Amino acid sequence: MLQARGLAKRWPGGVPLFEAVDLDLAPGELVAILGESGAGKSTLLNIVAGLDRAEAGTVTVSGTTITSLGEDELARWRRRRVGFVFQAFHLLPYLSVEENVALPLLLNGVAAVERRGRAAAALAAVGMAAHAQRKPASLSGGEMQRVAVARAVVHRPALVLADEPTGNLDEANAAATMQALRDAVKREGAAGLLVTHSAVAAAAADRVLRLAGRRLGPA
Amino acid sequence: MNAPLAATLLRGSLSGNRWRSLLAVACIALGVALAGAVNTLHASALDEIDRAARLLAGAADYQVKGPRNGFTDEAFAAVAMHPAVAVASPVVELEAPVPGKAEALRVMGIDPFRAARLQPGFIADGAAARGGETPALLDVNAAWLTPVAMARLGVKPGDGFALGGPAGEVVLKVAGALPALDEGGPLAVMDIAAVQYLFGRVGTIHRIDLRLRDDAPREAALRGIAAALPPGVAIVKPDEAAMRTAGLTQAYRVNLTALALMALFTGGFLVFSTLALQAARRRQEFALLRALGLTAGGLRAFLALEGALLGAGGAAAGTALGLAASRAMLERFGYDLGAGFFSGTGNTFAPDAASLAAIGLLGVATAAAAALAVTRPLARLDVAQALKDRHLDLPSPPGGWALPLALAAGALAAAFVPPAGEIPVGGYLSIGLALAAAVMAVGPASRLLLDRVPASDAPLRTLARAQVKSLPGHLSAMVSGIVVSVALTAAMAIMVHSFRVSLDGWLSGVLEADLFARAAPQGDAVVFSPEAQARMAAVPGVDRIDPIRFERLTPEGATGLLTIIARPVDARLLRGFQADPPAPPPRGSGPPAAWVSEASVDLFGWRAGQEIVLPLAGRRAAFRVAGVFRDYSRTWGAVLVDLADYRALTGDPLANDIAIHLARDAEAKTVEAALGRVVAQVPGAELHDASYIHARALAIFDRTFAATYALEAVAILIALAGVTSSFAALAWSRRREFGVLRHLGLTRREVTRLLALEGAAAGIIGAVLGLASGFAVSVVLVHVVNRQSFHWGMAIHMPWLGVAVLLAAVIALCALGASLAGRAAVAREAVEAVKDDA
Ligand SMILES: Nc1ncnc2c1ncn2[C@@H]1O[C@H](COP(=O)(O)OP(=O)(O)O)[C@@H](O)[C@H]1O
Ligand SMILES: [Mg+2]
Repeated sequence: MLQARGLAKRWPGGVPLFEAVDLDLAPGELVAILGESGAGKSTLLNIVAGLDRAEAGTVTVSGTTITSLGEDELARWRRRRVGFVFQAFHLLPYLSVEENVALPLLLNGVAAVERRGRAAAALAAVGMAAHAQRKPASLSGGEMQRVAVARAVVHRPALVLADEPTGNLDEANAAATMQALRDAVKREGAAGLLVTHSAVAAAAADRVLRLAGRRLGPA
Repeated sequence: MNAPLAATLLRGSLSGNRWRSLLAVACIALGVALAGAVNTLHASALDEIDRAARLLAGAADYQVKGPRNGFTDEAFAAVAMHPAVAVASPVVELEAPVPGKAEALRVMGIDPFRAARLQPGFIADGAAARGGETPALLDVNAAWLTPVAMARLGVKPGDGFALGGPAGEVVLKVAGALPALDEGGPLAVMDIAAVQYLFGRVGTIHRIDLRLRDDAPREAALRGIAAALPPGVAIVKPDEAAMRTAGLTQAYRVNLTALALMALFTGGFLVFSTLALQAARRRQEFALLRALGLTAGGLRAFLALEGALLGAGGAAAGTALGLAASRAMLERFGYDLGAGFFSGTGNTFAPDAASLAAIGLLGVATAAAAALAVTRPLARLDVAQALKDRHLDLPSPPGGWALPLALAAGALAAAFVPPAGEIPVGGYLSIGLALAAAVMAVGPASRLLLDRVPASDAPLRTLARAQVKSLPGHLSAMVSGIVVSVALTAAMAIMVHSFRVSLDGWLSGVLEADLFARAAPQGDAVVFSPEAQARMAAVPGVDRIDPIRFERLTPEGATGLLTIIARPVDARLLRGFQADPPAPPPRGSGPPAAWVSEASVDLFGWRAGQEIVLPLAGRRAAFRVAGVFRDYSRTWGAVLVDLADYRALTGDPLANDIAIHLARDAEAKTVEAALGRVVAQVPGAELHDASYIHARALAIFDRTFAATYALEAVAILIALAGVTSSFAALAWSRRREFGVLRHLGLTRREVTRLLALEGAAAGIIGAVLGLASGFAVSVVLVHVVNRQSFHWGMAIHMPWLGVAVLLAAVIALCALGASLAGRAAVAREAVEAVKDDA
């Protein structure tokens, strides 16, 4: 579902961050990339998401070579095909939990009735159905991240990307979040890519890779 | 960007800073309201004049018009006998004071049989009904009144009423009503010979309404008729009446409109800084949306929509406010806030929907443009960075001097662009560029100023200096807001003060006599006869009187009106009028001397030494321009000539005003009382001392510019509210930084003081740049905009005290606003602030 070939990145004026990175993800597969802080995990994830540009290499998702798309095409592609989970949750404070989950559907122009139904289903799947009408500020960190997981898959993306999703959570909540993420990826048949420095979080993945010494290899 | 998404995101805007949005809306509303009110007052006035002129002209397709004091009725014979003329109807028209009321009634003297062929409404119901009876028309005192005139005078057919005339009160009888002319306003119609006789105008007419034969060749007919007319009398289309009035008030209108545009500009700027702060605060939200697939164009469209909505709110509120205000002003002060341009006494309220819509759209466009300006830095937003880091800020402004200097040079160059028509486009462009230069100078100027502040070991000062010098986007948007509002406020304050000081000095010079008698404060029917003048001169204690006679005409070879001021001219009077040169030339054998106003120089291109020809009393009279004088009472041209020359040329012995000089040893009160009794014999005439007239002129000035005072106050209030809310946003976005500082051992009080220091520094930078650009703008206003639209020369006078108070208040309130915002930001626990994630 995801194929990356020969990805290389170097910041202007800096040493190369990584070179010749290949990556393959199957539908329903959750892959974790481990690495030290500063290894370039987030940068790699951003390149896969089309938020950053590689110096060399290609990324193809379900047959679309995204590394050759323009800015706006990338945005429209992300809108339909990508879901995100962030370390800092990034829920909009003025929307209810359900509206936050429905945001990708809203962006895709899905009608109101269908938005509600699908958001409710996604919330139920992460065990947050009871909190649909609350505002994010009244939730705990773990609850917020489960809402974010629901938002990441509500529009049935091909790719779910998560950058340190457990970075702001305690162990119990981290485990619950990882479980929710794993379930969501399996349920939707999406390719899940998780970058983290936490071996505990990575343990929930089907496969673990390590980014170190400018190379991506088995852990 | 789809509609439900836009609606959802707008909830985020509304949940943001409501007060700031409200301020931006208020500022747009203010600009729209002011422009709308000025436009509506003017449209109403023109509508009334235009409608009345059309109605009374009836089927006339041309009008023969001459000087304001009229022309010889011999011209009528020449016109009426021209073969191309189907109907020629002579008209005598004057405005007679209503005794006991501060108003005048328009009196028209017509030849009813001729007039009725052009406008049947001149034949009254009563006259038609009576048919065979003794026609009341032949009764010299009979007057037909429009219903609105009867209502105003409180009379009905058969009643008697009085009007002021040059030889005392004229008693008239209401012979009937003219309902068909009611739209023409309060009006009394009489037989032309009766008006000439009763109001001392024998041999004089003011107008001839014409209808040409349909089969006559038009061009040739017009040329033939024009050739038969005496100098100073011309043939025009009826609708030019309103056009001429429009010309007289253009300067006034242009200036108030300029102020309105400035308010709009400030409003646009406020929308910009509101949205910029919103965007900074919502940076992560926007980054999230971009990550979730919103295109950069979609985000831009959303922000433009948000700006347009703010603008639409402002435009709607402003239009409503402007309509209400103009209606109230119309009822209280008349069409021109009492500035004296319109003598009409009607109160037509006729807003012009098209112009109001255009003004409203301008408000919306200003706000949308401001919003689009915000999206420029947002387009550079690095989505991945914004999602990761929590330093919420807009990119800093460019730091170089090149752009601001180029803009300043552009402003200087634009000031020399000549006006288009009478609109000082170069001046406005120059003002816009000067403000833009100041805003663009915020970055480099703050660096320059802070480099002058010596580095110190005091931690707070070091931190504050570093923060302000790095000038984050927040701070620069806020400083720019201060710059623009201080600049506009200072510019208006300096301009109005310069204007007022100049007017004040001019009035002291011009009002050099002790007392002034005015024959017709209302209307023009009453003048001082030679006998009345002699009686005043004979009052014991009067040293001498200077009769003043006014005439208004179109100079030969020109279009546009010119006022002739005829009065005894000596060196003292010339000094009072700030004439250059200030002394009369020696009497030679050439044409008599004339002094032309600054407006005449601008409008007619007259220069000292030049010979000009004025059509006086139906003859071409040559004058030699001896110099230029200052005339703050007219925005159109004026010529000052010696009364002796004028009388010799015209044989007109009358006077409109009299300047009275008392003997050195005279008991002022006694003489004034005696003069008052003499003046009272002339109905409606007034006697005032120079200081009263001086004070009244300044009061009218203040009333005219009251709108600008209000605008200044609002601009400052908005700027200060903006500062506080900017600092609140700034402090909010830095609460994590403050948490760290408190972990490092700063107390809450110290953090608050840090923000106060930063606020004061931002206030100083904003105030200094604002004052500098405000001064530049005021120079452009005084020497370019006012000169080109009012045609008045004046000097810059600095309101030092006001400026000092303004600057001190801005700096102090910046510090206060910042520390208040800081206090709110450090109210939370330090630990909480550091781990805060939202
Ligand atoms: N926009 C950028 N410009 C320059 N260097 C960057 C930028 N973003 C990240 N870096 C650098 O790239 C390296 C890898 O960063 P990142 O991908 O965030 O690492 P990780 O997520 O593995 O901790 C770091 O050394 C970081 O300083
Ligand atoms: Mg990272």
